Order: sequence, then structure tokens, then C-alpha cells
Amino acid sequence: MKLSNSRFEQIAAIVRKDFVIGLRRRATFAAMMMFALTAVASLSLSTGGIFVEAKFLAALLWVVIFFAASAGISGTFDDEAQAGTLPTLKLYADAQAILFGKMIYVLLSLVALTIFILPIFLILFDVAVENFFLLLATILLGLIGIAAAGTLTAALTTSATVKGGLFPILLFPITLPIFLPAISLTELSFTGGAFDSSSLVVMVAFDLILVTAASILYDYL
Amino acid sequence: MIVFDDVSLSFGRHELFKNISLNLRGGKVIGVTGANGAGKSTFLKLAGKIIRPDSGEVKLINDENNCALRIAHYALQFAAVAPEMKIYDNLTAQENLFFFAKLRGKTLSAEKISELGERVGLDLKTFGNVRAENFSTGMRQRLKFAILLSVDADIWLLDEPTANLDDDGREKFFREIQAAKPDKIILLATNDRAEENICDEIIKLPL
Repeated sequence: MKLSNSRFEQIAAIVRKDFVIGLRRRATFAAMMMFALTAVASLSLSTGGIFVEAKFLAALLWVVIFFAASAGISGTFDDEAQAGTLPTLKLYADAQAILFGKMIYVLLSLVALTIFILPIFLILFDVAVENFFLLLATILLGLIGIAAAGTLTAALTTSATVKGGLFPILLFPITLPIFLPAISLTELSFTGGAFDSSSLVVMVAFDLILVTAASILYDYL
Repeated sequence: MIVFDDVSLSFGRHELFKNISLNLRGGKVIGVTGANGAGKSTFLKLAGKIIRPDSGEVKLINDENNCALRIAHYALQFAAVAPEMKIYDNLTAQENLFFFAKLRGKTLSAEKISELGERVGLDLKTFGNVRAENFSTGMRQRLKFAILLSVDADIWLLDEPTANLDDDGREKFFREIQAAKPDKIILLATNDRAEENICDEIIKLPL
């Protein structure tokens, strides 16, 4: 995985292009945001007045992020394939630049989604965060994992006929090792208990594995 | 030089290419002709490594040191005008030009954009900030042509490049091809008599 200066320029150009198109089309952002908002609002209404354990709340937050992310990421390559621009992009850009450009775009989209949904989640479920730094670090590491695995899965499912159903089925097992420590660290950030750094190390290690594996495997797609 | 080394490719039971070996050298326009379904576009895609052969190898050999280029460098030698290679409808003409030029490490000035517009016959002062989705088919083709010129690639893959162009557009295209050919390998897949006439060499694919 070598990234030269020209690759960085290509990556930056692809991220910028995807944001311009994403903001103009709005459909992908709207789908992610509306899914997250609807899920959080309906879950909040159905548990209204009931005490919900911190572990359950942490799991709920990650379920919302996972499925909202799925709604947005699955079209990362497919939108280009449908528009007929993917062959052009593949001809003009380096394969690794395409992968990392898309991955960074997905990550930034997920950060925007989280900035939108996290305050709503915390207010509606009346969550008092005891360790905000831990929560932010956990979310960022979790989003990096989802972005890396999601981008590769989106590339894999581009030519599939049932990509809508296939995408979350493939993505879930790949990201499960990220979710388990993420849920336990998120719970700790809500309760403020003493935390074991090994979960954080696991997340960092798995993020690195996912990014490296995506980089190696993408060349063979 | 592009080298096809014992290349075979089939689609299902249909054997499109069988054990093709040839060298495609620069400095001339190489036409690829044949009936519909003979594999003209597929031939170009094989040359550009957009698709891989079932067996054999397609290599790009550096004429100076006779070494095959690595895949990462290989891809960046090409530019194309082909029906299935679309531009971004949600971007303006200028944004499309800036984007593809940037992918090849080039930054286009306003003067360069204007010059490209003149060369392809697309008024980019008027239409530069118009999204490509509002362009006619011919205008999109001219924009693809401008992108091709802007990236200054060593190898051009042209698949029926003037199909949607009017006489003025075709004339401009042919003029640019003639001017560019001494420094490039140009592969032109076509069934059009006028396009065939500008080729220096023809590869006729059997059906």
C-alpha cells in the first residue's frame, strides 16, 4: 500500500468530486439521515418512560449507525456503475486512489451522519455521557472500520443483481469484530466505569487490518 | 508499444479472440474494424487492460528500455472516447475537465480551458458552467474529446469517436488525431468510412 503525491492528488480530487455530486443529488445523504432519524425517533417513542440499560443503548446506537451507513454506502460504486462513469473513472484514475478516495468520502459522510444523529440520540434517550472523549474515539474508530469494510463490500457487490440485500449481509460479519468492542466502549463512555484499553487496541488493530485488506483485495476486483 | 501475447478471450461458448499475437506501435492511427459483434470495442478494452483475457497477456512495452510497465503506470498512459465511458452529468463541463485533468496531475488554467473549447468546437465560455446533463449528445462527445486532449495521454482508445458529431466536429476531431499521432499510439474502432480513411493501418476482425 504505497501512496505517492500524485495518488494523494487523485484521492483528493475523487473525494471532492463525490461530495459535489452527493450534495447536488442529496438522495444518498437524505436516505442515511432519514433512516437514522426515523429509527432513533421510533425507538425512543417505543421505550418512552422505561429505564433502558446503558449496554442496550450502546447497542442501539451502533445498530442505527450500521443500518443508516448501509443505506448510504451501498451506492458508493453502484451509483457510478449505473451512470456509466465507473469505466471512465477506472481508466483515468489509479485503482488505489479510487479505493481510498471512496473510502475517505464514505468516512466523512459517516462522520456527518454521526454529528447529525448523536445529539438527537443522546437527547431522546436522555443519556448523560460520562466520558465524552472515549465516546468520540470509539465512534471514530468504529466509523473507520465501517468505511473500510463498506467501501470494499460496495465494490464487490456492484455487479451483483441483488446488491440491496447482499450488501448488509456481507458487511455485517466483516464489521462484527468492530461492533463488539465498540458497543462495550460506548457503554463505558455512558456509565463512566474504568475502561480496559484492550478494546480500543482491538478496534485500532481491526481498522488497520480492514484498510490493508481492502487495499490488497481491491486490485483483484 | 502495446503487445498482445497469445491472447484468447471467450464470452460463454463464443470464442471472440483465439491466440492473438501482435505488436501495436506508435506514430500511426491503427484502425480496428469488423462487423457488429466482431469484438472491436472488446479489443480496445483488452489493450487498455479494462478487461483481462482468459489466457495470454497484454503488455505495454516502453520503447526506450524495452521494459513492460507496471500496472499502476500502465493505466495512467491511456485516455479514451467511447460510448460506454460516460462523463459526470452532475458536474459542469469545467468541473469534468478539472476533475479528469487532476486525476492525471494536471491543473488547467482558464486560458487552457478556453483553448480546449476552441479545439473541440465547444464554447466553454458560455457552457463551461452548465452541467453536462443539459448537454446534447454531440456536446457531450465534444466534452469527452476535450478531456482526452487535456490529459495528454500517450495512448488514445477511440471507439466510434465521431458517431454523434456534426461535420465541423468530425473535421476538428480528425485534425487533432492527425496532429497527435506522431507521439502516440492511437487505436480507433470503427465502421465509419471517413474514420477508416484517416487510419494508417487497419486490423480487420473476423466475425
